[in-house]
Amino acid sequence: MIELPNECFIQIFNNFQHDYESLYSCLLVNCHWCRIIVPILWSKIVHKFNNKNLINTCLLALNVEEQTSLIPFKILLPNYQKPLFEYTSYVTSVNGFLSDGVINWLNYNGYKEALFKWETNRDNLVKAVNRSLITMFLRTSKRLENLEVGFIVDNKFIKNLCKNDAISYLYLYQNWIASEEIAEILKNTTLTSLRLHDAIRLALMEKMR
Amino acid sequence: MDNGTSNSASENETITLKSCDGIEFHIDARIANRYTLLNNWNGGESACIPNVNGKVLEKVLEWCEHHINDPQLNCGDDDSRRRNTIIEEWDENFLSCDQDMLFEIILAANYLEIKPLLDLGCKTVANMMKSKSPEEIRSAFNIDNDYTPEEEEQFRKENEWAEDY
Repeated sequence: MIELPNECFIQIFNNFQHDYESLYSCLLVNCHWCRIIVPILWSKIVHKFNNKNLINTCLLALNVEEQTSLIPFKILLPNYQKPLFEYTSYVTSVNGFLSDGVINWLNYNGYKEALFKWETNRDNLVKAVNRSLITMFLRTSKRLENLEVGFIVDNKFIKNLCKNDAISYLYLYQNWIASEEIAEILKNTTLTSLRLHDAIRLALMEKMR
Repeated sequence: MDNGTSNSASENETITLKSCDGIEFHIDARIANRYTLLNNWNGGESACIPNVNGKVLEKVLEWCEHHINDPQLNCGDDDSRRRNTIIEEWDENFLSCDQDMLFEIILAANYLEIKPLLDLGCKTVANMMKSKSPEEIRSAFNIDNDYTPEEEEQFRKENEWAEDY
């Protein structure tokens, strides 16, 4: 095969917009192609968050602190070797479907609480894993532009948010946040757009009256 | 009427292009005007094109000639155009050459900054890879597998989510 410059390969593989299967096949062809495809493939994971295998690979990227926060919930993390790439550094968008993937992952790994919607501990488990994963995405992704968060944000989260210098859109759903915290987020992050849960919006408007 | 081309050359004007192996082509000056790089070289009545041989240049110019009256696209149109995976019948026949020639055309289009031809070539190659297994792609393009079996297994495992529905 005649060698092409990388920019041509990128253009070839960019034709596989949402064709993850073809990208996956090409990734396994050889090392050179793999290095070109990993950033393309992992920039699009947002449409695949409900997949337990994706969650599995993401969990491998947790650092010690992010892993430790899961100990009280007795969550056993996958223990195979360190990933071959820092895949999560290419992630551009994290949305609410992350919860679905986490539930699927918990189900598959035998956490019975995750099977039943009415199980009170289910919500805690899912939010704990979500929190660790989102903290990891904020730490590792250099291209994370969009983020949707469904757990209560605290000071630590805001600190992590301020450290990420790519993020531009944040949506806090099922959430509660003080107006001082909103001010801090707007002051210290690269955000250009912040969307709040409807109840917070109403409360803020009430306060402003 | 504005047909999208913004060149000043008239229909009868021709210029001479010379490939790296010395073969001369007399082309409609409007072709050279249309593409930045050809245009840059067109200081006088003839221009020499290093890096592209006569056989490939002939194919590239054949494509340019066929598409001489196409409307020129604005930068903003690029994405929507690229997303469209349909290839016109003439283009499909044009690119159903042998694989080496197809890659040579992509290289030349990239070098000469003929974007629509580059898009077309890349799209054609992508279509040849679509829905194939890694083994099928390797044999179709004569590529060696340089993974160790352990590496390949690990890459499979870490990215298998992409294969699931």
